[in-house]
Amino acid sequence: MSKWECTACGYIYDPAVGDPDNGIAPGTSFESLPDDWTCPQCGVGKDYFRQIED
Amino acid sequence: MNAVIVGNGLAGTMAAKTIRELDDRASVTVFAAENRPYYPRPNLIEFVAGRLTQEKIYAFPPGWAEKNRIDLRLGTPIRRIRPAENTVEVSDGSIVSYDALLLADGASAGVPPIAGAGKPGVFTIRTLDDALALLDYFQNHRRVAVLGGGLLGLEIARALRAREAEVVVAEIFPSLLPRQLDPQGGEILKARIEAGGIRVLLGVAAEEITGDPEARGIRFKDGTILEADLIILAAGVRPNTELAREAGLTVDKGVVVDDRMTTNAAGIFAAGDGTQHRGRLYGIIPASFAQSRVAAENICGREKIYAGTVPSNQLKVSDLPLMSAGIIRPEGPGFEEIRLVRPEAGVYKKLVLLDGILAGAIWMGVKAGAAEIGKAVAEGRNVAAFKSEILEDGFDFKRL
Repeated sequence: MSKWECTACGYIYDPAVGDPDNGIAPGTSFESLPDDWTCPQCGVGKDYFRQIED
Repeated sequence: MNAVIVGNGLAGTMAAKTIRELDDRASVTVFAAENRPYYPRPNLIEFVAGRLTQEKIYAFPPGWAEKNRIDLRLGTPIRRIRPAENTVEVSDGSIVSYDALLLADGASAGVPPIAGAGKPGVFTIRTLDDALALLDYFQNHRRVAVLGGGLLGLEIARALRAREAEVVVAEIFPSLLPRQLDPQGGEILKARIEAGGIRVLLGVAAEEITGDPEARGIRFKDGTILEADLIILAAGVRPNTELAREAGLTVDKGVVVDDRMTTNAAGIFAAGDGTQHRGRLYGIIPASFAQSRVAAENICGREKIYAGTVPSNQLKVSDLPLMSAGIIRPEGPGFEEIRLVRPEAGVYKKLVLLDGILAGAIWMGVKAGAAEIGKAVAEGRNVAAFKSEILEDGFDFKRL
């Protein structure tokens, strides 16, 4: 599963870590995140993210 | 350091991962009852709905455990813990010793006391095997009844509706999500779910699963019968405490731990859905995650404290965001309720005021303002000055 970077603030979503504080279990792929998931660092939506090599 | 972990759900897996990160030389063995590597449980709903393939359910690529030198024993439950000897007895009869043992065997699906709940065609959803068995049976049994109108019941109902099943949800309470919604909000949610093609029955208590030998329906206490050939019990979960109890550990609702996630037995820790901390049994991802990290740190000899988790008051139900906080069904004099209702959009905003102080709120169908309103309730802010405009869509919450 690949990592995704927030183009607004540089936060990196790592599927191996997930976003547990917001109920996203470790191991959840970026594609499986709910549509209304937002960047935990700056609050923008999923469409601000771009896939990066891991 | 020789760590043994019971369970390979979120807590067990994250603890194993953390121990490896903290101590490169530690020996880490994980015993898993399920014959599957770790997967995030919310993925099961996506799988049932057909939005995620089975291969994509798993969290880590094949070989992840070996690469991290985690001895992962799948399909190998623990039979007994022997605290006096610092050993566990494995289902294959072998005895394994430990320096530190982490109990992370989680929770199981609760089965309500309904006659016939063991019949073929009656399912719970907690594991991937549950989901596979359900989908297999679903091929030839497409009239579905879900017993339980909580979050999981509604999600499962929608997932099977996405596969074009005929779905009925039956809830024992007279309204949906009574802890998060008042009756009017519950009605709006119900209408929304029904618009999605799912029938909702409220205030009905199941007495018996009919059919012989296979399930053919549900008979309710009021005598009515609902025909269905696939029945899902979505009645919450029950912590797995048998191993701990038998080993003489302190067990209340769950396995009791202190702030270091240690049980009353030396060298035995617990974390995750089966764990009770400061009287609380959480059963939510953020808590399991934090607990597993703290347990791993302490197992590795670092002093780390878990102070509890504040559950988020924001959730999602049938695609609608829902925030609810404070007093939502006020009783007694002095309360004032203001509302904005747009049923067709699933929007229901309600504030409960007491002398201008925000005492409670329901914020459904709109995400904007949910966090700010939740915070204002927690802080007991006076919003009397904004009463006429605070429910409007364009309201600038920075003004609060």
